[in-house]
Amino acid sequence: MGFLHPLALIGLVAVALPPLLHLIGRRLPPTVVFPAVRYLTATEREHSRRLKLKNLILLLLRMAVILFVVLAAARPVARVASGTGHPPTAMALVLDNSLSSGAVVGGRRVLDVLAERARHVLERATEQDQIWIVLADGLPRRVGRAEALAAVDSVTPWPVRLDVSEAVRIAARAVEDAPLPVREVVVLSDLQETALSAGEPSAVPVLLWASPEVPQNRGIDSAHVEPRVWSPSGEVIVRLGGTFPGEAALRLEAGGHELAGAVAGSGEVVVLSATVAERGWLQARLALDPDELNADDQWFLALRVADPAATRVERGVGSFVREAADVLRQGGRIRSGDEVTLADRPAAGTTVLFPPEDPALVGAVNRTLAARGVEWRLGELVDGEWVVTGDAGAARGAPVLRRYRLLGSGPVVARAGGEPWLVRAGDVVIVASRMEVEWTGLPVSAAFVPFLDLLVNRLAAGESWVLGATPGQTVRLPAAARSILVAGEELTVQGGVVVAPLDPGVYFLRAAAGDTVGALEVNHDRRESRLAPAAPTAVRATLGPEANVLGDRAMDRELFQGARRADLTAILLTAAIAAALLEFALASVGGAARRV
Amino acid sequence: MAQRLTNRVDLLDPYEVAQLGGIELAARGVVEGFLAGLHRSPFRGFSVEFAEHRPYQPGDELRYLDWKLLARADRLFVKQYEEETNLRSMVVLDVSRSMDWVGGERRLTKLEYAKRLVAALALVLLRQRDATGLIAFDERVRSVVRARARHGHWWQLLAALGELEAGQGTVAEPALRQVTDLLRRRGLVIFVSDLLLDKDLALLALQHLRHRGHQVVVFHIMDPAELSLEGPPEARFEDPETGGAVVARPRELRGVYEETVRRTIDEWRSSCRGGGIDYHHVLTDTPFGYVLRRAAASRSRFG
Repeated sequence: MGFLHPLALIGLVAVALPPLLHLIGRRLPPTVVFPAVRYLTATEREHSRRLKLKNLILLLLRMAVILFVVLAAARPVARVASGTGHPPTAMALVLDNSLSSGAVVGGRRVLDVLAERARHVLERATEQDQIWIVLADGLPRRVGRAEALAAVDSVTPWPVRLDVSEAVRIAARAVEDAPLPVREVVVLSDLQETALSAGEPSAVPVLLWASPEVPQNRGIDSAHVEPRVWSPSGEVIVRLGGTFPGEAALRLEAGGHELAGAVAGSGEVVVLSATVAERGWLQARLALDPDELNADDQWFLALRVADPAATRVERGVGSFVREAADVLRQGGRIRSGDEVTLADRPAAGTTVLFPPEDPALVGAVNRTLAARGVEWRLGELVDGEWVVTGDAGAARGAPVLRRYRLLGSGPVVARAGGEPWLVRAGDVVIVASRMEVEWTGLPVSAAFVPFLDLLVNRLAAGESWVLGATPGQTVRLPAAARSILVAGEELTVQGGVVVAPLDPGVYFLRAAAGDTVGALEVNHDRRESRLAPAAPTAVRATLGPEANVLGDRAMDRELFQGARRADLTAILLTAAIAAALLEFALASVGGAARRV
Repeated sequence: MAQRLTNRVDLLDPYEVAQLGGIELAARGVVEGFLAGLHRSPFRGFSVEFAEHRPYQPGDELRYLDWKLLARADRLFVKQYEEETNLRSMVVLDVSRSMDWVGGERRLTKLEYAKRLVAALALVLLRQRDATGLIAFDERVRSVVRARARHGHWWQLLAALGELEAGQGTVAEPALRQVTDLLRRRGLVIFVSDLLLDKDLALLALQHLRHRGHQVVVFHIMDPAELSLEGPPEARFEDPETGGAVVARPRELRGVYEETVRRTIDEWRSSCRGGGIDYHHVLTDTPFGYVLRRAAASRSRFG
C-alpha cells in the first residue's frame, strides 16, 4: 500500500488529541457540594469497571475516526491484483538530459542517476508495452525496449533547456492514442523549478521521480560587449547568477590570450576592460572557476575589433561637430584620414551627412545623393519638439527642435516624432538635423561625443549584427547573412532562419561576397543554472493534481499499475463514519438509561 | 381560586408556605388546612375505655360525637378513650450537616422543610392532646424536649426547633436509644432524616424501638436534586459531612446513579415494612398537607 499525498500523514499527530483533551479536561474539575455522595460512591464502585471500559472504547473510537480521516486524506492506494506481470502499457519516458543534468552530486552526475532509474524502469517493460522516449530536445521517439535501453546507455547532458511541463504534454499526446489499457508518462528529472511552465495538465497519469539532491551552483547569466566595435579597446559586462557562496575567478580570453580577469561572486555584475591586438572578428570566451555544474561556467562572445576610423571633418558641419571630433581624436577613438568624412554635403567615400546651414544648398545635396544612388532626400524643413527614438545609442531621448524631413526608403536607424531622423544607405549616413543648439539639444549634452563615436565607428564604418541564442533555438538572421560558419564549414542559410547549433560558441555570419557581416553567439539558457527543485504544489499546478514526486519504492509500486490500483479513500471514509456513529450511539447510552 | 388556595395552605408549595411567616405560622396554616380537608381525626386509634369529653373540632368522626350531651346541653363534644389520650409521641429529627442543603432555587433546605413538617405534626398531635416531644441529633443528641400534652407545649417545641442549626455528621443510635428512656410506655416515634447514615445501625435501632412496642414512622427527606446527578461535564462531588469526594462525569453516571437512589429507597421501604415500620419518602417540594395525609392514612393501620 502507498499514499498519493503522504504529506497528509502529518495529520496523524491529531490522533493524540482525544487522549490529550481527556488528560487536560480531568485536571481541575470544579467541586460541587453534594450530600448524596454515598450513593454516588456506591454507583461508581459498582460501575467503575464498565464505565472505564466504555470510556476506553469511546476514546479508541474517537482516535479511530481521526485516524481514518487522516489516512483518507493521504489517499492510500493498494494493489488489487497479485503476480509480477502488468497489463500492456503505453509508456512515455521523459528523461531530462538538459544542461542541468550535468551537475555532479556526490561524485556522480545527476544524469547518471537518472539513467540508472530509467534502466530500472525499462527493464520492467515487456514486449507488449509500447515505449516512447523523450529527451531534452522534447521530441517523442517510439522505440523498442532494447533501443530505449541503448538510448539511455548513450545519453549525455545536452546544453539545452528542457521544459518538463511541455515535454510531459508532448509525451501524453504521444501515448494517449495508443490502443493499450494502461497509459503512463514517467518523468525522470532533477525537476528544477525553472523547468516547469503553465499549460493544460496532462490527462494521462504522470509518475515523477526526481534526483534526490541538488548542489549549490554559480554560473554566468549573461554577458555583452560595449561598444559593439572595439577600436581596439572595449568592455565586457558580465552578470553572474546562482546561489553558490563565496567568490570565483572570472577570465576573459580571446585569440589564445587572457585579456582580463576579475574575482566575483553570485549575483554580481562585473565589467572587464580589455584591449585586443588583433583586428577583425574574434571569438572571446568568458570562463568562471568550475563548480558542480560546468556547463554554465563559460560564455562566448563575438568581438569586432577595428582601428579608429580615419576621419576628416569639413567646416560646414559646424563648430560642435568639429570640437567633438577633436575630443574623439585625442581619445584615440578616431584618427585623421579620409576613410570617413563628416560633411554637410556628400563627399567621396564614406560620409556622415549633416544638413547644410544654407537651405539653398539642399537641392544640390539631394542631387548628389541621387547621383550616388542613395534613395533618401532632404525634404521640408520643419520646426517642433520631438525626441529621438530607435538605435541612436547615447542620443536616444535627446530633444530635436528642427529637422529636415527625410524622404525615401530603406533602413531607419533612429526616428524623431515617428519620422526618419537618422538613416543609413550604403556608405552614406544621413542625420536630419544640424548639430546646433537651434536644431537639437544634443551638442550641449554629455551624449554628444558618444553619439558622434557611434556615427563614425559603427554606422559609417559598416553595419554588423551580433545575435544571441540558446542551443537549438530558431534564429532569424539579417538579410545580408547568406551563410553561417559551423565547425569550419560554411552552411547556407535557408529562408533567413537557422537553428542555433547545440554546442555553445560564436558562429560567424557571411555575406554573399564572403565578408563577415555578423555573428551568432550561442550560450546556455540561464534558467538551466537555477537548480532549486520545484515545490510539490508547483508540480501539481502545472502537471495536474495527480502528479506527485514519488520515492524509489513508490515509483516501483505505481509503475505499470495504473489499471490495478485501488483507491482506499472511500473505504476509510466509510470506516470513519461508522466509527463516528458507533461513538455517538455508545456515548448516548447514558442518556437513554436516564429515561428508563 | 386564590381564596381557596389560601385556605388550603397545606397544599401550597412548601417554599411559598415558608414565605408566609415563621415556622409557627406555616405549621398552623398547614394543620388548619389539613384538618379542614379530613373527614375524621388523624392519628386516632380505637378504644372502648372512655376517658373524657373534649370539644368537637372539624374532622372528628361523628360516631364519637356524644349525642346525649348534644341533646341535653346543645353542645358538641366527642368522647375520648384511654388509649388515645395517653398516646405519647417523640419526634426524632436529624439536624446533621447534610440536612442543611438545597439543590435548587425556590426550595427549602431539607432541614427547614423538616422543621416545618415536625412543627405541623406536633401541632396535630398536641391538638389531640397527645403528648409530644422532640429529640434533635447530628453526631450526638443536640436537643431534647420531653413529651408533654399540655396547652402551650407546642410553643416550647417551636422554640426548640427555632434554635436548631445544622450540625456535623449523622449518628442516629444515641438519639433513638434515648427515645427508649423517654418513652417508657408504648408510644409513637417519628424519625425525620435524610437517612444519609449507617443504614444497618439505624434500622437496628428503629427495629429495637418497634420491638419495644412503639409505633415507628420514618420520614425520609430528600431534595429532588438528589434523585438525579446534575452538574458540569466533570466535577468533584464533595460530601459536606465527611469531606469525602468522588470525581465523576454526571452524563456518564446519571442513569446508574438514579438506579442506585431508587434501589436505596426501595431497600429502606422494604426493610421498614419488614420490621413493621411506617416509611414515607418525602421530597422537599411536596406540599406538607400531602405528607401529613399519607402519614395519617398509613398510621391508621397501626392503631
